[in-house]
Amino acid sequence: MAQHALQPPAEPPSTLQSRVIDDDRRQRPGAHRQRSDVDRTDEARTDASTFDADGLVIGYPGLDEPVVEDASICLPPGEVTALVGPNGSGKSTLLGGLADQITPEAGTVHVDGTKLTELGDKELAKKLGLLSQENVSPGALTVEELVGHGRYPHRGFFEAMTTEDQEAIDRAISLAGVDHLRERDLGQLSGGQAQLAWIAMVLAQETDVLLLDEPTTFLDLHHQLEVMDIVRTLRDEWGITVVLVLHDIDQAARFADYMVALDDGEVYASGRPGDVVTEELLADVFGVEARVGQGDHGPRITPLRALEDEET
Amino acid sequence: MAERPTPTTGGEQSDGSGDDGGPIGRLTSRVGSHVAWIDRSLVGLCLASTLVVVLAGFVQVRYGSYDMRIGEVFWAVLDPNVLLDPRWMLNFLVGEDLMRAITGFEGELPELPPETLIVWTIRLPRVFVAVLVGMNLALSGAIFQAVTRNELASPYILGVSSGAGLAILLTLVMYAGLAAYLPIIAAAGGALAFLIVYAIAWQHGTSPVRLVLAGVIVGTVFQSLQTALFFFADDIGVVQTAIQWTTGSLTGVEWEEARIVLPWSIVVVALALAGARQLNVLQLGERTASSLGMNVERMRFGLSGIAVLAASASIAVAGIVSFVGLIVPHVVRSVVGSDYKKIVVGCLFVGPALMVAADVGARLFFPVVMDVQKQMPVGIVTGLIGGPYFLYMMRRKNLGEI
Repeated sequence: MAQHALQPPAEPPSTLQSRVIDDDRRQRPGAHRQRSDVDRTDEARTDASTFDADGLVIGYPGLDEPVVEDASICLPPGEVTALVGPNGSGKSTLLGGLADQITPEAGTVHVDGTKLTELGDKELAKKLGLLSQENVSPGALTVEELVGHGRYPHRGFFEAMTTEDQEAIDRAISLAGVDHLRERDLGQLSGGQAQLAWIAMVLAQETDVLLLDEPTTFLDLHHQLEVMDIVRTLRDEWGITVVLVLHDIDQAARFADYMVALDDGEVYASGRPGDVVTEELLADVFGVEARVGQGDHGPRITPLRALEDEET
Repeated sequence: MAERPTPTTGGEQSDGSGDDGGPIGRLTSRVGSHVAWIDRSLVGLCLASTLVVVLAGFVQVRYGSYDMRIGEVFWAVLDPNVLLDPRWMLNFLVGEDLMRAITGFEGELPELPPETLIVWTIRLPRVFVAVLVGMNLALSGAIFQAVTRNELASPYILGVSSGAGLAILLTLVMYAGLAAYLPIIAAAGGALAFLIVYAIAWQHGTSPVRLVLAGVIVGTVFQSLQTALFFFADDIGVVQTAIQWTTGSLTGVEWEEARIVLPWSIVVVALALAGARQLNVLQLGERTASSLGMNVERMRFGLSGIAVLAASASIAVAGIVSFVGLIVPHVVRSVVGSDYKKIVVGCLFVGPALMVAADVGARLFFPVVMDVQKQMPVGIVTGLIGGPYFLYMMRRKNLGEI
C-alpha cells in the first residue's frame, strides 16, 4: 500500500465496513498494528514527510516566561506521534508552534527540510494541517460545506471548485465515516459527529503532516475509537505523519508509535511508548503513583493515587 | 460499464462517495455545482425584494407635487425616447461631458415630454440612488458582521459613522466654503476614523473584540466632539443640514449623486461576491481560517476595507442612514442560512428593497398623510422600521451569542 501522501488512494469501502463491523480488530488493536507494520513497505516510510523542530521557545505576549522552552523534537515520518503531559504543560502551545500558528520566539520547524517560515500561508496549509481543540462554526453549515472549506489552500481567490477538489472532499468524507451526515447541518450533530466532520475538513486539505489537538477529548468511547481508527488509516494507507495531543496517556500508549512527554514546557522524554511510559515518568510528570505493566498492545497503566504536590 | 461500488471492491475507481446516482448523476451534479448553491429560498427572497423595489419605486415615481395617472407613469418610465437613446442614458449615468466624449455628440439633446422629464430627471434618480445605497449598506453590514463575528455589527461599528459625522459638522461649521465637497469629506472622515480604530485595536494583531471596543472608543469621542460642534453652529440652516446628513436623507438626490455612488457600488459588489468564500472561512474562527492558509489579519483588513468603502460611498450621497446595514443581513440570514455566498446575493436585493420602501415613507408621509410639504430624512424611517423588527427577532428566536 505504498502511496504518495499527496495522492491518497480512494479508500476501499471495505475499510469503512471493517471499521464498523470488525469487532475482532477493535478488540485487539495490537494485532492490527503488527499486521500493518508488515504490510507497509519501506517506500511508504521514505515517502512520508519528515517533520522536526529545533530549539523551539514559544511564549505569549504579556507573559514573562515562555510556555514552551527549548523543545527539540524529531518526529518519525509516516508514524503517529502523541504529545502527552499534564494540564498546562504546553502541549497545545507546542502544537500551535509546530503548525506555525504561534510565532516562536526562537527555534525553527522544518517540514521535509524546508523551514516553515519560508513557506507561504497557503503552501504551508497544503503541507501541514491543524485541527484546533475548540472549533466554532455557524450552525447552519452542512458537513459537506465544512469539508469543502478544507480545500481553501488549494484554491485561488477567484477559482471555482474543481473535480479534483470534489474528489478530495468525497475521499475525506468517506474516510472520516460521515457519508451519512453529508447534508446535515453541523448544529444538529452530536459532539462526536461534529468532531468527525471537522476531521474530514482537515483531511480534505490533503496535507503530508497532520496535527490534531486533543481530537478525542470530550468524545464518547465509540467516537474516540472511531477517531483513532481514522488516524491509523491515515498512517497506514495515506502515509501521513500524524501528531496528536492526547489527554489520556493510556490511550496515547496504546495507539501511538512514538511519544513525546512534556513537563512544564520542556520535553521530558521522547521515544517508543514502551520506553517513555514508565512509573518514574508518571510520578515526575503527571504526579501520580502508578503501576506500568506490559499489556498485549503496549504499556498498560494502572494509576494508584495522586502524589502530594511537593513530591512531584 | 455499470460502475456501482460494492463494499467488496477496493479498486482505484471507486471513490466510496456513496450512492448519488451513479457516475452520470455525479457528473451533472458537479457541472451544476457552480450554481447549485442558489436555492429556492434565495430565489424567492430576491424575487420578493425586486417586487418591493418595483412597487415602491412606482409609488415614488407616481406621486409628488406633479401627480400622474398610472398610464402616464408607465409611459414615462418606459419612454423609448430615453430608454433607447444611448445619449440620454449616458447623460444620466456617466454625466454630460463623458457622454459627449463617448458618443461624439455635440448638439442639444432631443426634447422630452414633461412627464418623462420629471420622472427621469427628478424622481427615478432618487429611486436609483436608494437602490445603490441600500445595496452598499447591506453588504457593508454583512461583511462587518462576519469580520467582527458579531451579529449586531453594523456598517458603522468601526467608527465610520462618527468619523463621517464629525467631518460633516467640521465642514459645515468651520469651513463652510468646502460644503460643495461634503460627499467626499464625509466619506474620507469615515475612512479615517476606521483607520484610527484599527490603529488603536492593533497590538500584535487584532481580534474582533478589540476592534469593536476600539470602535466604541473612537465613536464615543467623535460623537462628543460632533455634539460640541453643534453649539458653534449659529445658523438654524446649518444645523438642519447637519441633521440631514447625520440621520441620512435622500432629499434632492439627482443623477449627480448616482454618478458618485455607482462606480464604487460596482467595485464593492464585485469584491463582496468574490470575497464571500473568504467570509465563509472566516466564520469558522480565526484559528481554523489561519490553519487553512488564510492570512487572517490581511484578509480581515481587506474585507473591512471593502465594507468601509461601501459605507463611505453611501454616506457620500445619503448621509448616515442607520439600521439598514444592521437588519438587512439579519433578514437575509434568517431566510437563506449562514452561507455568505447566499447572504451577499440576498443583500444585493433586500438592501435596495428596504431602502426604496423606507424612502417612500420619508418622501411622501408628510405631503400625502399630513398634507404638509415637507420631507423626512430617510434615516428616521429606517430607524422606525429597524427597532420593531429587532424586537420581533428577539421575541422569535435567540439572537445567538451576542
